[in-house]
Amino acid sequence: MSRRLPVYLLLDTSGSMHGEPIEQVKNGVQTLVAALRQDPHALETAYLSIITFDSQAKQVVPLTDLASFQLPGLKASGSTALGDALSLVADCRQREVVKTTTEVRGDWKPMVFLMSDGVPDSGWESGLNRFRQEKWGVIVGCAVGQHGDTQVLSQVAGPESVVMLETADPGSISAFFKWVSASISVGSQKVDSGQKEVSGLSELPPPPPEIQVVGV
Amino acid sequence: MATINLTAKDGSPVSFVDEIIGSGGMKDVYFSPDRSYVVAFFRDPQDANARDRLDNIVSTYRQRIFDQPGGEYWKELFCWPTKIVEHAGKLGIVAPTYAKHFFFAHGSKNNDMLQIKGKEKQGKWFAAAKLRSKFLHPQELGDWRMHLTTCIKICRAVRRMHAAGLAHSDLSYKNVLIDPVGGNACIIDIDGLVVPGKYPPDVVGTADFIAPEVMATLTLPKGAPNRALPRIETDRHALAVLVYMYLLYRHPLRGGKIHDTNDPQKDEELGMGPKALFIEHPSDASNRPRVANLQPSELPWGDVTKRPYSIVGPYLRDIFNRAFIDGLHDPNKRPTANDWELALVKTVDLIQPCANPNCEQKWYVFDNSTKPACPFCSTPYSGELPVINLYSSRGKGKFLPDNHRLMVYTNQYLYPWHVNRTIFPNEKLSEEQRKPVGYFVLHNGKWVLVNQRLPALKDVTQNKEIPINTMVELVDGQQLLLSPEDGGRLLQIQMVKA
Repeated sequence: MSRRLPVYLLLDTSGSMHGEPIEQVKNGVQTLVAALRQDPHALETAYLSIITFDSQAKQVVPLTDLASFQLPGLKASGSTALGDALSLVADCRQREVVKTTTEVRGDWKPMVFLMSDGVPDSGWESGLNRFRQEKWGVIVGCAVGQHGDTQVLSQVAGPESVVMLETADPGSISAFFKWVSASISVGSQKVDSGQKEVSGLSELPPPPPEIQVVGV
Repeated sequence: MATINLTAKDGSPVSFVDEIIGSGGMKDVYFSPDRSYVVAFFRDPQDANARDRLDNIVSTYRQRIFDQPGGEYWKELFCWPTKIVEHAGKLGIVAPTYAKHFFFAHGSKNNDMLQIKGKEKQGKWFAAAKLRSKFLHPQELGDWRMHLTTCIKICRAVRRMHAAGLAHSDLSYKNVLIDPVGGNACIIDIDGLVVPGKYPPDVVGTADFIAPEVMATLTLPKGAPNRALPRIETDRHALAVLVYMYLLYRHPLRGGKIHDTNDPQKDEELGMGPKALFIEHPSDASNRPRVANLQPSELPWGDVTKRPYSIVGPYLRDIFNRAFIDGLHDPNKRPTANDWELALVKTVDLIQPCANPNCEQKWYVFDNSTKPACPFCSTPYSGELPVINLYSSRGKGKFLPDNHRLMVYTNQYLYPWHVNRTIFPNEKLSEEQRKPVGYFVLHNGKWVLVNQRLPALKDVTQNKEIPINTMVELVDGQQLLLSPEDGGRLLQIQMVKA
């Protein structure tokens, strides 16, 4: 009778991610899934979905249990339709996340990890408004490289939940996905954590040195 | 990889290979060059209180348990830190490497699809019906008897800690490694232990195991007088949950009752906290699991009508009642680790091998009903079964019932702890006391007890001595005296036909 934990990964696949960065993202997701499959608690409860965004947003993997999860090929091209991605994930949440009723124990609030290396296409704010209509658990924004827009991400994730990878090198991207995987696995609850809803970075394991926390 | 050589705080040499082999919530772990021990460094600086606690854990507290007669025994049941080191500004502890049987030998199904072969056997794998049925390799699962043995080891270890005045404070399937194939268990992550009045807890526990009173007062400030924090009584709750999950593969409090439809976090806090209710509460059915909402892989274990907790037998059923009905919201009424150990040991005497060679659990508690059958695979018991009630002498000629029953099966041994009430099967047994004194066997269609080492075995009903290396046929109503000494046991034989 455990609740499911839905996890949405929003991945920037715009042209600037072409080449090594997109390959590293694919590796990162593979490593993340492999690590979570070895964690019995995550295996029992976590469900993963991938939404990519370039000139448009697409849910390439619907919310899927870890054992059945298969990563399709990802290609990087086009612009950065972040707004579309935000309204798409909101629609997916509406459709896929089970609501609690008096009869059915629904899912936990979804976790969202959003990774982007650039400035969003104009008009993205309407997507943000749609996104904000839904209730979310932890939201983390990750700006990749020097063009990653931390201001934009902080509007999505909240000012205290944005991290940055200075460069899109393999080590940093892999460290990010390892940290995401550790964030999905749960551990002992600290005495002073109170009953605060898990929502900020403070509730997650401390990020490794490759990941900078952007206090906005 | 470079090997780093250090001197521990106690002056002894410590070496580790400079490559992280694993990372926990607070520590990064390294192997010694010969892999006989690990060194685990705290990522964050430890304050004076934490340092003082670690000092005591590796010295005073460790000596209290290990430097006693029979201390060797506990090395299998605890992964206890032995030394403190400092390196590159970080504090570390040295602890023994886990025994080999705590790593998966086969891992998962389908050619180890999860790639867990060689990984630690975290208890959670064995505590959820879905993980057992869908993922684990059948050769990793162990049988039900070995699950009882595993639980005995956990309770024994917790009993020992509590006897030393120590609370673990975060007992969970993450911090207890188990090996249901060999019936082994080992308590790990001992560095956070709580000493009442001296070292307060760092963590409130792990979801699934946090005691209701701790959950209910989470929001109060840390020093508030009503704030309940981990202590021995909360360990007792966690222990009860562990035993329930390892015997029934479901959580005792996670049922169908919804406490808050808007906020999952609120629902969790109520359901595990002030509103916690046993899913099998006999008079309040409001938290029964809704079978229709369960996944196929969670059945039949998730269905309490198919696998009611009564299948664990009368001794454990009573203890579960005390833990999840009487003591759920009344910490003082919770059974102690010693109570659990006792009930589990007695339950081992109630089990029968299942006649079905393909039965997944292989062993079950014989329920002594008119149509006895394996509760797991429904295979009926057939034939005649001797049921023995144990009485023991309390002063001259006076025998009182021990509320202890023995269900006989072929080649079942009789041990010194069956012969005398004052002997209990635990770490205190001598080598001699670990050896059987007789055994039961179905011989030419008749049940007999073969006397191997009982010098004064006597059939009281026939007033006849049964010398060593002879046997006595078991008949209904018969009384056998195993020992004339004080505490010596009298067996009252009942023959049940099924």
